[in-house]
Amino acid sequence: MPIKFMDYVIEVKNLNYKTYIEDISFNIKRGDYIAIIGPNGGGKSTLIRLVLGLIVPTSGKVKLFGKDRVNFKNNSKIGYVPQGVTKNDSSFPITVYEVIKLGFAYKSSLFSSTSIEDRAYMEFIIDKVGLTDLKNRLISQLSGGQRQRVMIARALISKPDILILDEPNTGVDTNSQKIFYDFLKELNQKDNITILFITHDLEVIVGDVTKVLCINRSLLSYEDKNEVLQCSTMSELYGIDAHVMHHNH
Amino acid sequence: MEILQYDFMIRAFIAGVFIAILASSLGMFVVVRRYSMLSDALAHISLLGVAFGFLFSISTTWSAMVTAVTISWLIEYLRRNYNIYSDSLLAIFLTGSLSLAIIVISLSHSFNVSLFNYLFGSIVAVSANDIYVISSFGILSVLLITNFYQKLLFVSFDEDVAFTTGINTSFLNYLLVSLVAITIGLSIKIVGALLIGALMVIPVISAMQYGKSFLKTAILAVIFSISSVVLGLIISFYVSIPSGATIVVMALLIFISSLFKNKIFR
Repeated sequence: MPIKFMDYVIEVKNLNYKTYIEDISFNIKRGDYIAIIGPNGGGKSTLIRLVLGLIVPTSGKVKLFGKDRVNFKNNSKIGYVPQGVTKNDSSFPITVYEVIKLGFAYKSSLFSSTSIEDRAYMEFIIDKVGLTDLKNRLISQLSGGQRQRVMIARALISKPDILILDEPNTGVDTNSQKIFYDFLKELNQKDNITILFITHDLEVIVGDVTKVLCINRSLLSYEDKNEVLQCSTMSELYGIDAHVMHHNH
Repeated sequence: MEILQYDFMIRAFIAGVFIAILASSLGMFVVVRRYSMLSDALAHISLLGVAFGFLFSISTTWSAMVTAVTISWLIEYLRRNYNIYSDSLLAIFLTGSLSLAIIVISLSHSFNVSLFNYLFGSIVAVSANDIYVISSFGILSVLLITNFYQKLLFVSFDEDVAFTTGINTSFLNYLLVSLVAITIGLSIKIVGALLIGALMVIPVISAMQYGKSFLKTAILAVIFSISSVVLGLIISFYVSIPSGATIVVMALLIFISSLFKNKIFR
């Protein structure tokens, strides 16, 4: 069955940005769970910033839900967790609850306080990410894994259809990483949230994701994870002789 | 109370409380963004406005405000569009505007005691007209801060993520520097150009020692700021010393006691 136009939540066509991104094109369908991999300096974060509209492409187009990025106004459909969330400013006096509430900031004003429904949904999300006991703590008092959950809760508050994460597991211990990936999988499979995230962790690619986007300035491949995890693709991506070994653990 | 029998003291208290509320609440956003130098730079820039006021014989409060707001927009524009470090940019404008202010004041032959008042503040300098201007802009600024509180907090915490949620971060940045510039323009007579930066920063840093939420820290900063201003004005009245310096010394004493509290009860 052919894919309808509106089934694509993200469309990228002939995207260029200075010398960092060269002629990249790909489409992402609703419900996809996609990892972006590539070497440091390969343009992964730049690609995400272009999709989010944080920087303007030199040429090419980005469409979100069928609309040009520049005309797309329904920003609450996209949740973003940036790089380095585990290393926030330790002096910033802000609590977990205050950070998560920022997810409603786009609609706050003097004449519209947070509604009862919004507050109830906030409590639901705080409970879902396991932060109920920590909600009145200062963010600076949390571990890396806990801060990561705070940022995801803030991103989920606006009920996004797409969640974009830039190296979310940097500075997080192995156990917290596993819990985190299980949570992402649940969001993708149960809540049907499209997930796009940058990672260097090939183990998670083997486990959960549906597709892998390999970039090193240009798009090297955008395929099923099993195709990507070939020695030749890894060698081209990282510029070294790679030997991919599969095991059952 | 003897102090309240003087109209100029009542005016100083009214103006001082408005300035204390504005300086500390805006200071919260400035300090957490590591942009504390902004207030000092704009204070020196507002001196240039005062110099224009002398030169053209117009209200120095208005000329200080207009100059500070205009140049704050220029600083924000340069910060966003040119690859210049923020602190270097502020240093350029701080020294540049002070130099220009000295030249303009020399040309207007007003290099006398009145400039001293603008540098260090004077409780007798606040006129009835100033009170109208300070209270009008003060109320407007408080309403704007309250209206945009969540958005300003988001932009201060993580500007990129705030932008991706559809918040107009550019507008908020211009709004913040404009409000800081207006507050400094309003404060220059009572606190002084050399000291207003301290009133924006010290009560906030003192409140941050108590490790509460952002909102509670902001409320505490406002309380510390009002206390510093009221105590500073009373002491400066009875001891006949410059009001601005006394207010800042009060703020420093609160800061020192906050540090001790932090050390003892942590």
